[in-house]
Amino acid sequence: MNAARAQFLIILALGIVFLVLFRESGPSNYQLGLLMRTMILMIVAIGLNILIGQAGLVSLGQAAIYGLGAYVAAWLAVKQGVQFLPAVAAGTLAAALCGAILAYPTVRVRGVYLAVITIAFGLVFQNILVEWLSVTGGSQGLIGIPRGNVFGISLTRPIYFWVVAGCLVFAFVMQYNIMHSRYGRAMRATAQSENAARALGINLAGMRTLAFVISAALAGLAGGLYTFLNLFVNYETFTFFHSITFLLMVILGGIGTMLGPVLGASVLTYIAEVLQDLREWQIFAYGVLLALVMFVMPRGIVGTVHSLYTRFAVKPRGRESNPWPNREISIAPAARADTHQTDMALVTEGLTVRFGGLTAVDDVRLTVKAGSVHALIGPNGAGKSSLLNLISGFYQPTAGDVIFFGEKVGGRPSYELARRGMARTFQNTELFGQMTVLENVLVGFHPHYASNLAETLLRLPRFGREEREFLKQAQDLLRFVGLADYAGEEARNLPFGHQRRLEIARALALRPRLLLLDEPAAGLTHGEIEDLKALIRLLADNGVTVILVEHHVDMVMTVSDNVTVLDYGKVIASGPAAEVQDNPLVIEAYFGAGNLALKRPEPLAAMAQRGAAE
Amino acid sequence: MGEIIQYLLNGLTLGGIYALLALGFYIMWEACKAANFTHGDIYMLGVIVAVVLVEKGLPLIAAAVVAIAVAAVVGAIIERFFVRPFNTDPHAIGWMLTTIAVGIMLESGATQTYGSFGKPLPSPLADTPIRIGGAGIYAQELLLPIVAILAMFALQAFYSRTTLGRAMRAVATNRSAAGLMGINPNRVALIAFALAAAIGALAGILIAPVVPALPTMGALVGLKAFGIAIVAGISSARGVVIVALTYGVIEKFIEGYVSTGARDAVGFTLMILVLLMFPQGIFGRREVVKV
Repeated sequence: MNAARAQFLIILALGIVFLVLFRESGPSNYQLGLLMRTMILMIVAIGLNILIGQAGLVSLGQAAIYGLGAYVAAWLAVKQGVQFLPAVAAGTLAAALCGAILAYPTVRVRGVYLAVITIAFGLVFQNILVEWLSVTGGSQGLIGIPRGNVFGISLTRPIYFWVVAGCLVFAFVMQYNIMHSRYGRAMRATAQSENAARALGINLAGMRTLAFVISAALAGLAGGLYTFLNLFVNYETFTFFHSITFLLMVILGGIGTMLGPVLGASVLTYIAEVLQDLREWQIFAYGVLLALVMFVMPRGIVGTVHSLYTRFAVKPRGRESNPWPNREISIAPAARADTHQTDMALVTEGLTVRFGGLTAVDDVRLTVKAGSVHALIGPNGAGKSSLLNLISGFYQPTAGDVIFFGEKVGGRPSYELARRGMARTFQNTELFGQMTVLENVLVGFHPHYASNLAETLLRLPRFGREEREFLKQAQDLLRFVGLADYAGEEARNLPFGHQRRLEIARALALRPRLLLLDEPAAGLTHGEIEDLKALIRLLADNGVTVILVEHHVDMVMTVSDNVTVLDYGKVIASGPAAEVQDNPLVIEAYFGAGNLALKRPEPLAAMAQRGAAE
Repeated sequence: MGEIIQYLLNGLTLGGIYALLALGFYIMWEACKAANFTHGDIYMLGVIVAVVLVEKGLPLIAAAVVAIAVAAVVGAIIERFFVRPFNTDPHAIGWMLTTIAVGIMLESGATQTYGSFGKPLPSPLADTPIRIGGAGIYAQELLLPIVAILAMFALQAFYSRTTLGRAMRAVATNRSAAGLMGINPNRVALIAFALAAAIGALAGILIAPVVPALPTMGALVGLKAFGIAIVAGISSARGVVIVALTYGVIEKFIEGYVSTGARDAVGFTLMILVLLMFPQGIFGRREVVKV
């Protein structure tokens, strides 16, 4: 059992003990009501924490979703005579649906655009509540909600306490189960690097929708609970101001932390009680508080305590990287058991992309043999990276097609290609900087999990088996690249060369049939390049096809089986490495056609080597 | 017919307010990819300072000038202390919250000190309405769309003709490259926020003779203006003004032909739908992501 899980279980046990003790200590009706209201707010805050802390999406309309759950339950109970359970379930469902709709724009927008949409949604909701008299009761709200009743037991406050407490425990457990699963990792991945997430087979829109739906469902559940606690609902509880309050709870507690939303909701409710003495200045004090929290502890209570703890209590220990590739680790599990064998790993047919008037890739025909190392070279701006982006689905081709192991895949989104076994690295290394080294690699296994969302949330046996299996494989991959010692370190803290290694390890987690390396040697030292060459050959020997975009000519000529040279977006030469480097067209593209062309062309590699020596 | 003209004129007035505020969002956004989220409260602040000063016996013009100056200083303070420290990376959202905090303080502070009774600002242009084809409107109200359009042209001239304006555009296009060319992006942001606040206060002072000055007058108007700026694509002054005037007119027609109550629900729903169709805004450009 790891530390996070132990921590979670201890907090959970303490929380449950506290709730039981509180309930049995004979609290006044007021105290009971206050704690129940706080618990309901905690459920909303937990949902919002998943949305912000995991998926990195900010909703400024969460109070409206909470209100939707409350009003749907209230309307059903008052006007349709629906019982407690189905009414709350319907409220939860309506909110979840609403979350899915709100998530739609996140397919393409984030940040302030999303903020505006959620604010607008909140204001529209508010407006409807006030104006649609016949359904919502207008500004008076819905009154006379009958007390809940489950299986003949009337939900009086002392009994209802257990229902609310149970729902809070449920929400808290779900939060942990999401955070510590492939779904949580994938959500954090989309928040930290969209490109890398897509390249690892993660459907961004799907993950964001999931985060929205979960957070909305929890808000809706809380809304339904609120309805049957308060027994009347009114628009004043669900305003923009309340959305801000929920946000403040999450920030105050610590975004993305397990205990943050619970602490934030408690502290803020307590402060609100104290601030009531200020009467008219209460709202002003709220503003001051919000600003103060942002100034003094932008990382929240938990974040601040955690950073103090790591500063004073944890002694930094020396870490060492080991030589790589580590041949003692078999990367056989990282290679894919291929079902259909074709000679050609990749064929492009007349692949073209235009940006405005510029044709970056012009009618490129490329054939890459399975199991070979194929290099793409060419002067700066020749279209190498654009071609790579076309192949891996990051750009949409203007014309032409890509055939990946016999299947036409041109124009498909990158995450689908990744799931078919096409992995890539990026020119400017794209790691999930605030995730640990181990988590980075684990994200790569995302498409290989068979356990679904329900199995993950409920921690069914298959989830546990897979999690253990992939954890072991991830650790193997880290040993393979010599970074096992850094497993717990945040990826952004790694030195540059190690970041490159990690990116490759992460790509291997996808079990690629084809690995696209975009300038992997750039910025590496001479020794590191030698390791990289060994790695590429090792991968090819294990049946992984490699396409290599590289400027380092010496490296290209020694590791590649075949080389394709691009210039101005066109293929000017293609063939075995030795042939291509003598091709006069290639030499002209690199060095220009002046006096050099008059002399007998010198092999490219020799020139490069001489250049390096001088 | 008179009805339609009436809605159109009133809509243009309303749209003029939105346009001036949305231009403020545009200016702030261009300078630092952040904005004062509660810019509407600056608009309110301008009005209330002007009203209080006129009550204290200052002439109208002097009161207006002082109010605009106060707003500009507040805008600069907001940038320096509430936006800059929280706008450190492209996905930062801290500035949204800190500026919302400022808005909350301004609004409730004004309620506590100034009170919640609306007072109008006297103006010679709001005495007798002008009749146009069966519709009536004060000259004061006609000023708004005109000033908004003038402000847009002035802004375009400022951005293309002056050194400071060009520096601001350079920062908008590439912040770090502008920094390397010796432009101080922080100073540009500070000026942008002051300028936006001044324009916001001007909008408030122009409309104050015909609507009562209230501490709550800014919040919703400001949010709408932000929505409008985003829907327009925020990177085009002309687009911002066009969308703002249109939105004002649409609102008045909804009020007239549907109901006052439905105005915001329909208006905001329209905003959401347009954003779904044009995620980068109507006049915005989609950026090609380089990997």
